[in-house]
Amino acid sequence: MISVFQQHGQELLTGLENTILCSVIALFFSLIIGSTVAIFEVLPSKFLRIIGKIYIEVFRNIPLLVIGMFFYVVVPQYVFPMDGFTAGTIGLTLYTSSFIAETVRAGIQAVDGGQMEGARANGLSFMQAMWHIVLPQAFKYVIPPLGNQFINLVKNSSVLAFVAGFDLMYQGDMIASATFDTFNTYIAVGILYLIITLPLSYYMRYLEKKLA
Amino acid sequence: MPVIEFKKVEKYYGKFHALKNINLQVEKGEVVVVIGPSGSGKSTLIRTINGLEEIEEGQLLVNGYDLADKKTDLNQIRKDVGMVFQHFNLYDNKTVLENIMLAPKLVLKRNEAENKETALKLLESVGVSDKTASYPKQLSGGQKQRVAIARSLAMKPKALLFDEPTSALDPEMIDDVLNVMKAIAKEGMTMVVVTHEMGFAREVADRVVFMDNGEILENAQADEFFEAPKEERAKQFLSKIIKH
Amino acid sequence: MKRLRKMLLVAGIFILGGLLGACSSSKTQSTWNEDKANNTITWGVKADTRLFGLMDVGTGQIKGFDIDVAKAVTKKILGAKGKAKFVQVTSKTRIPLLKNGNINAIIATMTITPDREKIVDFSKVYFAAGQSLLVKKGSSIKNVKDLNKAGTTVLAVKGSTSAVNIKKSAPNAKVLELEDYAQAFTALKSGQGQALTTDNGILFGIASENPGYHVVGGTFTNEPYGIAVDQGQTELKNKINKALSEMRKDGTYQKLLQKWFGNVAGFNLKEASQQ
Ligand SMILES: Nc1ncnc2c1ncn2[C@@H]1O[C@H](COP(=O)(O)OP(=O)(O)O)[C@@H](O)[C@H]1O
Ligand SMILES: [Mg+2]
Repeated sequence: MISVFQQHGQELLTGLENTILCSVIALFFSLIIGSTVAIFEVLPSKFLRIIGKIYIEVFRNIPLLVIGMFFYVVVPQYVFPMDGFTAGTIGLTLYTSSFIAETVRAGIQAVDGGQMEGARANGLSFMQAMWHIVLPQAFKYVIPPLGNQFINLVKNSSVLAFVAGFDLMYQGDMIASATFDTFNTYIAVGILYLIITLPLSYYMRYLEKKLA
Repeated sequence: MPVIEFKKVEKYYGKFHALKNINLQVEKGEVVVVIGPSGSGKSTLIRTINGLEEIEEGQLLVNGYDLADKKTDLNQIRKDVGMVFQHFNLYDNKTVLENIMLAPKLVLKRNEAENKETALKLLESVGVSDKTASYPKQLSGGQKQRVAIARSLAMKPKALLFDEPTSALDPEMIDDVLNVMKAIAKEGMTMVVVTHEMGFAREVADRVVFMDNGEILENAQADEFFEAPKEERAKQFLSKIIKH
Repeated sequence: MKRLRKMLLVAGIFILGGLLGACSSSKTQSTWNEDKANNTITWGVKADTRLFGLMDVGTGQIKGFDIDVAKAVTKKILGAKGKAKFVQVTSKTRIPLLKNGNINAIIATMTITPDREKIVDFSKVYFAAGQSLLVKKGSSIKNVKDLNKAGTTVLAVKGSTSAVNIKKSAPNAKVLELEDYAQAFTALKSGQGQALTTDNGILFGIASENPGYHVVGGTFTNEPYGIAVDQGQTELKNKINKALSEMRKDGTYQKLLQKWFGNVAGFNLKEASQQ
């Protein structure tokens, strides 16, 4: 296993970089999209609520791989070109955002309804009440499940391997097929994933304790 | 022109007829106390006034805006009509001072210095100026309610609504809150108060409205009402709560 | 307390690694003896490769040249009652599956290479393929030299030799490796690359179903296909070699080649049957 690191360190490093890059981008955008969709879901407007519901049900219930492939092969064919990294990252973002939306919505609904009512009666608009009063309180409930989503996101970024996105898993496939040392290669890849996810899960646990 | 005017208002929760043919006027500076048994529609009535509940039929004019009209901007009305709730509904993630300063800052764009000065003055007048940096969790019920009243007053409203403001309080704290409310009434604030505090009603109310089953059964001058309610059900209700 | 937990965690990871390592190095016994006892040979075959091994969606059966050769070899070895069992593999999974004993032999468009010979044993050549290119009709790419430009992207399949070869023949081209031929071809259609490279037989299979695409530039490598068995399974390997020779002698081999490739335009039967 050490020899895999020694001989293919450069490839693994490239993979690690791409995996981290993809995860960070997907995390950022899925948080924004997910929170927006979550707000759609608690909006007074029935139309927007339905839009939010459809978004969540669609992206949550299609395998990530299918979404990734869609952006890799269908979108370039009919809409505009994009490479595997972009396609995979978009797919991962949409997929994850649907889970984040569900999580954040649950968090919003866990906040006592009196908070929104008090704010509205006080003259705040729906969005002001959401932003200043409800979301900060919802955030507290949402930290632990959100942490799980982030860890899943890192692991799910291995979808890039299927659309030639040069991530850790893709590089692992390359190394394994060049060396035939499948076993040690995937152990090495697994350890590199742990290097990303373990600190993340410890940090999440720390945050959870701090906020509790 | 009355500050608040109900004209033949009907309100339904699904099939349930919660408000039936409500006609009511509240003049500027008037204090109207709403009483009635539990479930009679008092909260519903008061909540329609700032648009927390929609009405299905009739007209409801608040400061000249028609709440039944979909084009009416509810935020505009809420700016001018404050509301105090039974369970306070203070912002749990904000300090006492922030609770009071938030809406004036966001909605009225009041500048920071003036906002703070107003807030501190109000906190002093309701007697919690030593708690400015505390969070709602750290306050007693009576303190919470007085902060909530200060929060409403900070918007410089034209009318204030109270929905059983003392019902969730320990008895020894009720008077603190009622005294604050009396002081506000003396300054000429237009108020609609749902309460079971008959002492307060006798002392402060100009008019008493008695509700049952979603209807206004009696709407009388306060002294007349307490001397001799016309309605049989109002009589029974009064005798019950006064015995307590 | 925290320290202890961390240490346990690290220890756990290493124990896990060690256990898996031990498993992977344990050797199976002669598969030939097992096969004889069960009267069955389990073959790893492709199921996504037209002409060689393709799943018939209607019947759920895999059909192709590799399949027919495997069946014929099975009968020669085990007799008329011998059964050939098929397990789907991809270029990526076939060696691990052979190594862990899930399959007895691989007949899955597998090129004999010196690297692979270090870890598996190959039979004699049963199909002389050569790497070629599939492009959209009208493409400016005519042969492998046209690929050797920066900005050209070539699509290949993971675990196949074609990716390695193209990196040698056209070092300036970017190579993207996908999971299987279906995905690689879809990627070609959607413009993720300008050419798809792999063995000519496979490319002809794809072109026969997709009239907008054709095979260009002839073959630029030799890709002799062999049947692979795990190292040390010499008895099984010898039996397979003997069966292959018999098939060539009695005409079975030529019949199968004709059946699958006789009607493929531009395909050179003679070249493919070279030993
Ligand atoms: N959101 C609601 N949905 C359905 N029914 C409601 C709702 N709010 C109140 N009601 C019903 O309307 C009636 C009046 O309620 P409410 O105005 O709260 O009475 P009160 O404040 O006088 O106790 C009650 O029968 C109550 O069950
Ligand atoms: Mg009530």
